[in-house]
Amino acid sequence: MTGHFDTFGPPPPKPDPFDAAAATGTVDEEPALDAREAAALLARTTAEAERRFALQPPVLVLAAAATALVAYGAVWLSVRDQHPYSGPSAPALAVLYGTLAVWIVFVTGVTRRALRGRSSRQRRLDGIVFGAIWICVYVLQGALHHVGASHAIAYGVYPAVAPLVVVGSAAAGYEAARAHPARALLAAAVVALGSFASFAGPADVWAVVGAGLCGLLLAVAAVQLWRRRARA
Amino acid sequence: MTAADLDPLIHVPARLRIVATLAALPDGDSVSFTRLQELIGLTSGNLITHLRKLEDAGYIGTAKTGNGQASRTTVALTARGRAALESYTAVLRDVLGAL
Repeated sequence: MTGHFDTFGPPPPKPDPFDAAAATGTVDEEPALDAREAAALLARTTAEAERRFALQPPVLVLAAAATALVAYGAVWLSVRDQHPYSGPSAPALAVLYGTLAVWIVFVTGVTRRALRGRSSRQRRLDGIVFGAIWICVYVLQGALHHVGASHAIAYGVYPAVAPLVVVGSAAAGYEAARAHPARALLAAAVVALGSFASFAGPADVWAVVGAGLCGLLLAVAAVQLWRRRARA
Repeated sequence: MTAADLDPLIHVPARLRIVATLAALPDGDSVSFTRLQELIGLTSGNLITHLRKLEDAGYIGTAKTGNGQASRTTVALTARGRAALESYTAVLRDVLGAL
């Protein structure tokens, strides 16, 4: 048997369309442009390209809002009647991490679409750094458990707000350094939400954070959609 | 300034759209030929002919990634292409202001 008869192997890759077209390249005659038409075409094309290349399209932000509501909501439903507080149930944690995983896969798929170069390398580096910071939040949670912190702290207030405060602070500094004031303010708002939500107690903190994050992200999506409509 | 001062290489609908689309990419990024074709909506043959003209003028650069059948071509605007678009836009503004 040779590889030619392997019906289970991957299909052969299609040739690069650039090479396929290079052999037959022709150009259609185009009508001449006057200055007004050129200006309109330039503005329309630029707006459309910016919309298509945007890394935070409203659909991603809306997906993040839904993720926050489902993930934190599931945990709140599992802890709201606990007296004394013992922590989220296993199914609620499965929903929390499952929805987060689905959202990360969705974001990766959308932001990866056929763009290459400096910004995609930068995004990879950002992902590694912020991922490491996020993991450290949970390492500290382990330390809290280890030193005997109560369940209300180690499995309630801390895991609900620490990711927002720690990752949000890092994001606020990062965006401020890159002169992105709107994103820096959003990250600072997330930090403030986490800080104030901690007063809600170990059970209700999950509801406050979920609803607050969802509201913030819906506001961001609304602003993005409004800006897009104003530009069109 | 008159319309005759507009860069003739860019002042064609298809090439104006190609250059404006590539200028919207973050600096240092490129886009695959397939994605560019999807964005511009030209046939492969048409697109490649316009790309060649822009590449000959140094306005865009193309690069291959991968090997053999799996190779893909990516396209990016060069610094010279970005400057040409800025100059084209400035002339266009002058022309429109004079109308």
